[in-house]
Amino acid sequence: MIHISGSISKAGLLVLLILTLWRPASGQDTLRTYGPRFGLDLARFAFILADPSELGAEVSVDFEIIRNLYPVIELGYNSIAESEDYFKYAASGFYGRIGLDYNLINLKDRSQHHAFTFGARYGISVFSHSAEDIYIPNPYWGDYVSETYEKDLTGHWIELVAGIKAELVPNLFMGWSLRYKFLLNPGMDPQVQAQMVPGYGNGGKDSGFGISYSIFYKIPLLKK
Amino acid sequence: MKAPLLFLSLSLLAISCTTLEPCEEDSISEVVASFKTESGGLVSDTTISALTVYGIREGQDIWLLYDSVAYSEILLPLDPHHDFSRFVFETGEQTDTLTLPHNSEIYLISYSCGFGNQFTLGRDIQYGAGMFVNDTIINPIVNTSLEEVDTHIWLYF
Repeated sequence: MIHISGSISKAGLLVLLILTLWRPASGQDTLRTYGPRFGLDLARFAFILADPSELGAEVSVDFEIIRNLYPVIELGYNSIAESEDYFKYAASGFYGRIGLDYNLINLKDRSQHHAFTFGARYGISVFSHSAEDIYIPNPYWGDYVSETYEKDLTGHWIELVAGIKAELVPNLFMGWSLRYKFLLNPGMDPQVQAQMVPGYGNGGKDSGFGISYSIFYKIPLLKK
Repeated sequence: MKAPLLFLSLSLLAISCTTLEPCEEDSISEVVASFKTESGGLVSDTTISALTVYGIREGQDIWLLYDSVAYSEILLPLDPHHDFSRFVFETGEQTDTLTLPHNSEIYLISYSCGFGNQFTLGRDIQYGAGMFVNDTIINPIVNTSLEEVDTHIWLYF
């Protein structure tokens, strides 16, 4: 209950901040991107090199609908399979995030497409986690070996996102983002705490940071 | 181009932030039983001198838990293989058998500690007529963490 009320108040502050930053365009032809921009998170591949037991991929799309304001959708998949001394743990599932980015760089030259953005996301993940070969040492009554544990879960979280996108060549962007995430339902499984909530991270932590480093390609559907 | 260098540095940062906390908890779930006396509706703590406690395992040898020492409170490990745990209490010439009914489920203590058994004590605690006269369940949930639990049951002598 405390977690939920705290999260709601944080979400309220977030909305207030976005509304404060967002100043609708007063001019006419003010859009910069003129088309959807698709992204691939390259940091996921670096994480695989760092920890081969965790696999993931993430794609995104954004589109400037109002000057400097970019609705964003991010979709991804995460899985983890690890073997500890007394059990094996696995989790896998899909996730999605929806939100807004606001470009803080207020360039007058509309041919400049670089961006320093601040925004927010709502994330949801549908996944399952399981444990097997569970061994509980017990010197009194004898060691206990349990059957497989498995449960389907849904995770919800909010993210604050700050990032940079630089246009390297026309329509091709690279950029990174730093994310602060807070989980809305940390007690989703009171029996076995989720070690990995796809798209969020460690389900044992109520909040945490995340990093993405992505390459983007804008499809120039509309001409200036 | 500076982007690859930035990418590399951020990746190294992410790797360096990965830690696993050491396990500081064992996997044994124990009932905290406090000894009480009742006189005229007034409950008070008591110490049992020369108390010896054995655990009884089905089809196996009994094992010694406490050996002729004075106690006002003891820890009784519960049996994850059965829906009850049975103990023999001896004080001088008195002997009694205590049976604690329970059900159990596994739960994850932590990623570094692994799993443990969480028990829920049943109300039908059984004993003979030799030593115990009454019982009260204070907290029926028994797991590996004793940090937030003072007592699970009171046993009246």
